[in-house]
Amino acid sequence: MTGEPQEFRGDWRVAVETAAEVELIRYARDELGFELFVDRMGADQGPDADPRFDVITCLYNLASHTRLIVMTTLPAARPSCPTLIGVFRGANWFEREIYDMYGVSFTGHPNLTRILMPDEFDAFPLRKEYPMEGLGAFGAPRRALGGNVDGTDGHVAIPPHPGQPGAPTRDPLLGDDGLLPSERALLPDDGEEASS
Amino acid sequence: MTTARALDVELAENPNAEAMLINMGPQHPSTHGVLRLILELDGEEVVKAAPDIGFLHRGKEKVGEAYSFHKFIPYTDRLDYLAPLSNNVGYALACEKLFDIECPPRATAIRVIAHELSRISAHLLGLGAYAMDLGAMTVFLWTFREREHIYGLIERICGARFTTSYTRIGGVERDLPADFFPRLAAFLEEMPRRVDEYDAMLTRNRIWVERTQGVGVITREQCLQFGLTGPILRASGVDHDIRKSNPYLGYEDYDFDVPIGTEGDCYDRYMVRLEEMRQSVRIMAQVLAKLPDGPVMNREGEQVLKSVLPEKGKVLTNMEALIHQFMVGTDNAGAPDAGEVYFSIENPKGELGFYLRSDGGHAASRLRIRGPSFANLQILEEILPGHMVSDVMAILGSLDFVMGECDR
Repeated sequence: MTGEPQEFRGDWRVAVETAAEVELIRYARDELGFELFVDRMGADQGPDADPRFDVITCLYNLASHTRLIVMTTLPAARPSCPTLIGVFRGANWFEREIYDMYGVSFTGHPNLTRILMPDEFDAFPLRKEYPMEGLGAFGAPRRALGGNVDGTDGHVAIPPHPGQPGAPTRDPLLGDDGLLPSERALLPDDGEEASS
Repeated sequence: MTTARALDVELAENPNAEAMLINMGPQHPSTHGVLRLILELDGEEVVKAAPDIGFLHRGKEKVGEAYSFHKFIPYTDRLDYLAPLSNNVGYALACEKLFDIECPPRATAIRVIAHELSRISAHLLGLGAYAMDLGAMTVFLWTFREREHIYGLIERICGARFTTSYTRIGGVERDLPADFFPRLAAFLEEMPRRVDEYDAMLTRNRIWVERTQGVGVITREQCLQFGLTGPILRASGVDHDIRKSNPYLGYEDYDFDVPIGTEGDCYDRYMVRLEEMRQSVRIMAQVLAKLPDGPVMNREGEQVLKSVLPEKGKVLTNMEALIHQFMVGTDNAGAPDAGEVYFSIENPKGELGFYLRSDGGHAASRLRIRGPSFANLQILEEILPGHMVSDVMAILGSLDFVMGECDR
């Protein structure tokens, strides 16, 4: 433990060194009766903080109806933490989510891959420096973190909707007959027999 | 989302003439939303299963770090979208714990009604879809008849059927209308009879019993290891209901039972949900019998007013109220400079927890949503192997997940 347990609004939190976290949770499960795995989550204290990332685990004691929150803090560079799968197998997906969102790696995890974001995604969206509006349409050319596209100050230009200023006055898909392809497909064929 | 690819690669490296890879979802009717399952089959038997999630990911936790505590309320509707009122209640309670605000007794009682109505509604859909996937079409039509009744009630509560956004930090948005009470009383009288109908339709139905008993057994040990909660945990014989063990909303004052299963199979999960609907009716009848009078929003005291919105009717006519609304929305001086809370409620699907971390700003610096379906779905990898393909539908139906809170 790195300090006294802290209390806020009736919740008890225990801060622990990263190396001792798994052992502490194992002890809490086997000796203190915190048998039910509830949650394992990440948090970011911001790009200026070091240590920067928190990994927070929540356990529940079915006999005494109490919760235990265990927190460990990781450095800003190469954040890494031993996996909890050996104690609670359910930590698997939760750790994948922390990796997916924060880029925290879990040593010993059998399948540390993205879980909610697409495999090809190239950023960690819950890090504080990741902008709310995202980095532009996925799959399109994207700006690097912190950079701008065409001086739009972080915002990716969205083409104007029809009717907005600057929008093309005529739908480029509109044919000479004034119909959209989808509308034309609904018209009955004139003269020609429809091929079966 | 890579488990699927890993399975693909593995199959390519070990070409096994017996094995077949099939893809279920994300558009399969029994996946109730956008769950994708990749199944490796040996004949009709599942050898390996890889759930693939994330198709409904909308970055809610990121949104929660930018929008103020109040503005996040509508986002909670779309978590477990089968029980939006329940999510509203859970989020409001978590915020009230963070801000150290109390909710007036009348609003608390109204929240219990909202919470239990959405529990019945969610269980009805879960039961209907579960039965329909196993061929019992009638149950689905019957449960939807009652759900329609509930949606009528929810519309009376807050004006919307699905996207309720009913609770506010410190209370609820408006009081119940007078004509709500006779309607609710009529519903409470009718509902136990309807549950008896489902009971008569399924509980001793030979097809239903054969397809669910002994199928998808989840042991107590597996539940604890994987963090399964709600009806799934109780069906496996664990007596844990947050309404009983860590009462909130004054649940300690209501008389109700928590059904517990013994086998942990699909049949027990069905029985637990069926009984929970009856118990919810019991709870609501007790609330209705002694609904306290008084305000539905706590606006007492300077500390409370720092983070509670003013009356909406006054905001556009009264300058003080307008300034107040603006200050709460942009600054929220009631947020603690440093503090984090975890609060969870017993949602229809299990433990819905909110972990809020505040650094004094108008929005949370971390808003974690612990959705029960995320944890509950992880068990699929563990229990599906060894079952027939047709049992997969029974197991998915009995887990009763919703992707909105799984993918967030």
